[in-house]
Amino acid sequence: MRVLRHALARCRALVRRDVVAGEIRDEMQFHLQMRTEEYERQGLRADDARRAAARRFGNLALMQDRGYDVRGGGIMETVLQDVRYGVRLLLKHRAFSLVAILTLAMGIGVSTALFSVIDAALLRPLPYPHPEELVDVLVRETSNGKSSRYAPSMDDIRAWRGSGRIFTHVGAGRVTGFLPRVVEAGQAERLVVGEVSEDFLEIYGVKPLLGRGIQIEDVREGAPLVALLGHSYWQSRFGGTPHAIGRVIRIAGVPATIVGVLPAGFYRETAVWQPTQIPASRTNKRGSGTPVEARLRPGVTLAQAERELTDITMRTAPGPGEARDVRVELTSMYDNETSGSGKTVTPLACAVGLILLIACVNVAGLLLARGAIREPELAIRASIGAGRGRLVRQLLTESLVMSSAGGLVGLILAWTSLDALVAIIPMSLPSNSPATLNLPVLGFAAILSVVSSVVVGLVPALRISRARMGTQLAIAGRRHGSALSRRGGQLLIAAEVALAVVLLAGAGLMVRSFARLTRVDVGFDPSAVLTLEVEPLDPAPTVLEQYYPALVSAVRRLPELAAAGAVDYLPLRDGSLVTFVKGAGQTNLHMRQVLPGYFEAMGLPVKRGRLPTESDRTGAEHVVLINEEAARLFFPDGSPVGRFLQTMGELPRRIIGVVGNVRHSGPRSAPRPEAYVLYGQAAPHPLRIVLRPRPSALLSGDRLRQMAQAVGPKVLVGRIRSGTDDLGERVVTPRRRTLLLSLLGGLGMLLTLVGIFSMTAYAVARRTQEIGIRMAFGAGPADVVLTMVRDAAWPAFLGLSVGMAGALYATRVIASFLFETTSHDPATFAAVAVLMGAAALVAAWVPARRAARVDPVVALRAE
Amino acid sequence: MRKTNSDQLHGTLDMLVLKTLQNGRLHGYAIAIRLEQLSNEVLKVEEGSLYPALYRMEARGWLSSEWGMTETARRARFYELTRQGRAQLKAETESWTRLTAAVQSVLGS
Repeated sequence: MRVLRHALARCRALVRRDVVAGEIRDEMQFHLQMRTEEYERQGLRADDARRAAARRFGNLALMQDRGYDVRGGGIMETVLQDVRYGVRLLLKHRAFSLVAILTLAMGIGVSTALFSVIDAALLRPLPYPHPEELVDVLVRETSNGKSSRYAPSMDDIRAWRGSGRIFTHVGAGRVTGFLPRVVEAGQAERLVVGEVSEDFLEIYGVKPLLGRGIQIEDVREGAPLVALLGHSYWQSRFGGTPHAIGRVIRIAGVPATIVGVLPAGFYRETAVWQPTQIPASRTNKRGSGTPVEARLRPGVTLAQAERELTDITMRTAPGPGEARDVRVELTSMYDNETSGSGKTVTPLACAVGLILLIACVNVAGLLLARGAIREPELAIRASIGAGRGRLVRQLLTESLVMSSAGGLVGLILAWTSLDALVAIIPMSLPSNSPATLNLPVLGFAAILSVVSSVVVGLVPALRISRARMGTQLAIAGRRHGSALSRRGGQLLIAAEVALAVVLLAGAGLMVRSFARLTRVDVGFDPSAVLTLEVEPLDPAPTVLEQYYPALVSAVRRLPELAAAGAVDYLPLRDGSLVTFVKGAGQTNLHMRQVLPGYFEAMGLPVKRGRLPTESDRTGAEHVVLINEEAARLFFPDGSPVGRFLQTMGELPRRIIGVVGNVRHSGPRSAPRPEAYVLYGQAAPHPLRIVLRPRPSALLSGDRLRQMAQAVGPKVLVGRIRSGTDDLGERVVTPRRRTLLLSLLGGLGMLLTLVGIFSMTAYAVARRTQEIGIRMAFGAGPADVVLTMVRDAAWPAFLGLSVGMAGALYATRVIASFLFETTSHDPATFAAVAVLMGAAALVAAWVPARRAARVDPVVALRAE
Repeated sequence: MRKTNSDQLHGTLDMLVLKTLQNGRLHGYAIAIRLEQLSNEVLKVEEGSLYPALYRMEARGWLSSEWGMTETARRARFYELTRQGRAQLKAETESWTRLTAAVQSVLGS
């Protein structure tokens, strides 16, 4: 209480300095007045009485000052003074402040931006109440010594919910992000649709904003189909009206009644949610592919839950087959959500940390250089009574003012660059936790500012305030560079260069690896191929089977095209349908459906046999083509052409040809065994049209779209894309990683060069007299320039070697991202050394040239 | 050295000021008059130095102060002992008494 009152009194003094000083003056005046009157009563004349009272009182001004020392703002007031002085210094030395503040802003800005990503991805990836209770659920079945993990069946889920002891909520759900559905609400669009069981939204505590959620009745087979709207889709398509409830939309051609609207923020990309209706015959089937998630009751541990759930499952629904051992496996959703991120974030965090360090070293160097110039000023301060602690406090306050300005500018940088960073960050952020500059992030920036102010300020402050004030005062007014600050500056240059080399080595390795990655032959030339997405609104098999062949044969007549075909799963873009070859064990075979013309359009070479024709497709015999990888794996003995391929659950097909391999999932993945069946000889999928324009032919996109619409059924026409786009997206993560690390490497190098430049510039300015003397004794301009460059060059080369050694060690954090490149690739390291060394020399040489312009007469007269 | 001396002086002045306030609130000038009477003008300090001492004791919580009116209807700042101030006075008086008794016994022997 007393402390508080005292602090309040101090604060009052800070704000109303004049009031406190006035009170003290009034009180002392009252005393003098009373004493004067007393003397007058004793018979003295008025002015004598006043003089006697003043004598007796002592030095009025001193007493007022001493009084103010106790009652005034105290330490806060001197801090305020220092802050004001610091601001004035910043404003006075504009160029210096600009460089220092911008440098710190870069360091703090990139760190803050990255921290907000880390905050979103690693610190609070699950923005729901009690995220630690959320778990992913799998069932492991073991039979005959083989064990596999499956998504639990609906019966499993309901048995667990029924027991009520482990989970508060449990359900199945997924978002069809990679396979959007056609949704018609007035106008047809391809949208992301969520498919969930009952009790799924409840796991996350998501309550419908309007209407109701998905209930168990909605999930039953044959129940009238309902839909929930995502918030942003509700806003954009329905104008946010509550009357949306009860309206009917069509999802993949099937009408569904809107029964509710979800709040904003929950899977914002998902437009529509619908119940997963599972046929009664399949509710006991595990491995549907829809993940099962749950919320544990508070206090239930994972191990305990696994044990009890396994018991329940064994009792109620052990699953098909007899000799099966069933175990329920739970994993913390937090662990799953953050598992991959650490690997990506670590190198980025390291790089950003290095940038911040370089920025701090840079500014410390600047302060040290300026400190050498300020020595006389500080000597005078010390000689009139400032203690060392007081001087250090003043210097630290100044650097705090500077770094706060840097922090503020850095926040602006972070704020403006955050969207760009999120767009190129080589990882997927959690769906419901966007990266924002929230309170923890602001706090992080503030802490960085304070820490960096101490880092940049403490060494120069201690060094400058060293108790050699007597000798310093003697030479006050002279501008000498002490050997001490020169050595310090050189050490800082070495440190900066070392840090930048580590960054550059990392960036260089990424660039080299990326160049190798994009040179990989994926099996066809993506730049020669165009693709068109088109899908009938009515996905009935008969519609599909007529539509695509008709469209392709119409398109094929265009004179601009060399070839046209179609495929269900496009290389570099889509996933795969995987099956097994009968009698060939567990090796996956990737199945594709094609229209004849596909291989010509893609430019896939035929290695054996022949390519299919339209008559193969309509013929009675089911035929198939395989790729070289499949031929090697499944027919190691002689040519497969003419033999039969039988996959699980299908009739045998006669092999008519072997085609070249394709790296379906991009350059980093090896070719897989593939089989191409002809469209119409299996249950039809929607296709993607593949076009090969003649060289230098101009193909009209509008014309293609018109043709796609003109065939007959109502269709949704998507974009026309080039194979290069698809390849680009396949390597998007490595490209982003390369881009980001290159940007950071470049930034680190830039900051280092700025540091070398400014420290050399200061050294030249400080040593003008020395240079003058040298020139007076006959040194030529080239000699003095060389001297100045040498002073920056040897620490730079020291830094270069230390940095190389450090890089050999540090680049290991990116080793797993490198493609056919070792983490100590000699060519990259050599290139980095040459680049950094040359740039450092230039950065020192440019300001050093000024030394050559020193006029010895002027320099010596400056004494 | 200097510091110890000034501390002793502060300590003594503080104790005397607290003593003057033992019987109720006074303004600065009245405290000065009372100090004169108490010490029979033996203690000759510059009167002005009373005020920094008062502010310091107020900051320590021994005194509280407020503006008020004197009998002659003038505005003056009045000081009063807090509970903490009374305790302090008691403690200082006791230690002073012990010290003087010890000195006495040395001189008397």
